[in-house]
Amino acid sequence: MSAQNGNGRILELSDVVKHFGGVAAVAGAELDVRTGSITALIGPNGAGKTTLFNIVSGFYKPERGVISFRDERIDRKPPHAIAQRGLVRTFQITKALTKMSVLENMMLAAPNQPGEHLWRLVLTPRASRSREAEVREKADELLKLVRLDRLADDYAGTLSGGQRKLLEFARALMSDPTMIMLDEPMAGVNPSLGLELLDHMKRLQEEQGTTFLLIEHDMEVVMNVSERVIVMNEGRVISAGPPDEVRNDQAVIDAYLGTGRRPAAETEASE
Amino acid sequence: MSGLANAQFWAFVGVVAGIYTIFALGLQIQFGFTGLLNFGHVAFMAIGAYTMAILVVKVEWPLWISALVAILVSMLFGLIIGLPTLRLRADYLAITTIAFGEIIRFIAVNQQTLTGGPQGTINLTGAGRASSYNREWLDFQGWAQDQLEVILGDHATRDVTMLVLIWIVAVALIVLLQFMVHSPWGRVLRSVREDEDATSALGKNVFSYKLQSLAVGAAIGAIAGLFFAFQFSFFSPQDFDPLTTFFAYVIVLLGGTAKNWGVPVGALIFAFIFAGTRFLDFWPLSEITSADRAFLRLIVVGLILIGLMAFRPQGIFGKKEEMVLE
Repeated sequence: MSAQNGNGRILELSDVVKHFGGVAAVAGAELDVRTGSITALIGPNGAGKTTLFNIVSGFYKPERGVISFRDERIDRKPPHAIAQRGLVRTFQITKALTKMSVLENMMLAAPNQPGEHLWRLVLTPRASRSREAEVREKADELLKLVRLDRLADDYAGTLSGGQRKLLEFARALMSDPTMIMLDEPMAGVNPSLGLELLDHMKRLQEEQGTTFLLIEHDMEVVMNVSERVIVMNEGRVISAGPPDEVRNDQAVIDAYLGTGRRPAAETEASE
Repeated sequence: MSGLANAQFWAFVGVVAGIYTIFALGLQIQFGFTGLLNFGHVAFMAIGAYTMAILVVKVEWPLWISALVAILVSMLFGLIIGLPTLRLRADYLAITTIAFGEIIRFIAVNQQTLTGGPQGTINLTGAGRASSYNREWLDFQGWAQDQLEVILGDHATRDVTMLVLIWIVAVALIVLLQFMVHSPWGRVLRSVREDEDATSALGKNVFSYKLQSLAVGAAIGAIAGLFFAFQFSFFSPQDFDPLTTFFAYVIVLLGGTAKNWGVPVGALIFAFIFAGTRFLDFWPLSEITSADRAFLRLIVVGLILIGLMAFRPQGIFGKKEEMVLE
């Protein structure tokens, strides 16, 4: 496992807090993701998983707390700056660029395209064109991987829900990320293709040291693919560890099945 | 209806359509490709025309330098209006840009020593120079007319020369814009129009691209203003009322949003309706005075827009399937 970071942790969150009105969606979450790992983030509905993704990726500003990515604080950075640092995310409700072709959706995501800057587009048109050719090749490759190559020229808006999930996954890979956060990547994807995607994730992890953090409800997927599982409930991390350990953690079982009593530690709600 | 065979009439329609084509192209890049609801686009036209005239008359700069500076000033205003407003939601941007357009117009009305006030350029230049401050342009146009006479002979009138010059610029801008929106840069703009969050999640600085789009559109709007000043030489604040912006929207929607070649077609239809109400002099319309009849054009434009939305919402060149994608 590559160890660019001194402590082997690519992403670290401490005491992250975010309220919506009186509701503490994330209430002091503490977690870390190991460099080069596949980590699952699970928890019952409303546990704050997606909110946490939105905070880490810069879409929400946390009220409190520190978030570091590769030993650099990112909690005050805008989404595009975080993505440019190699931390990309997909969305639970997919965001296909519907009036652009599937191929354009892919090519947009490529980094280091000089033609995206007006001056360089005019002054160095060749650099723009040759990068475009590289990007095109990579996009074709990834579209084959997710079986969307035959739809490359169609509007992304004509894709089905499952196909959009695949497009988002492939689009995230276009940017050569160091770490990818996937929000329910398997929802709506046919199971055999889903398995292939998991294989591809593992291959990227092994060959390129890419780190994955995924929110997933399919426990079979979670237990098979991830080395570590982080469990959230009511805005906090209640357990973290290898799948087998977490599975038998009483706090996790209580969170999923209910305990018949309210957990002690949340009197955060103000109204 | 014999007037319809009149070459003068068609040259005039063509010139107006050319100016509106350029003007609407600026809006095309902002609204059509980036999704920015700029309701104050006319301000950039006004800034282009006025800056050029003021620099020529008051500072006595050469016309060509003044024209270039006018374009740059318009872009600067694009940045100034964009910086505080482009972070707002689309509908707030619309409201602020309407206000911006009106502020520019009111400045033109009230800063009389700078702009000539409500009487416009007549007062700015002084009566003696009102038709000659753009001497350098007229000289150039005369030279161009001489060149055209070689090809067209007697048909190369002043109006026809203007027509040719405007359309050379308009077509050049369409080709340039076509290249830009299909470049990687334009791909980011279109992506901003589709979904800002998805775009920023892919590492693109959405705010910066919106700003660039506004500035490029402002520059093109200013070019339209320059031609407006060259063609009419007399202009006043009322030429830049908010309605002008909406005419540009009508043109963009007529041709098809995000279709560059739709703009000249939309502009030609629009200019024909606009100049063509003079032919509506048959009974029963002849019962109305000709001044009142001029307002019929607004009714006709409105009816066309309603018809378009009902029967062909994608515009003439737009693709139907794009209207239903979500």
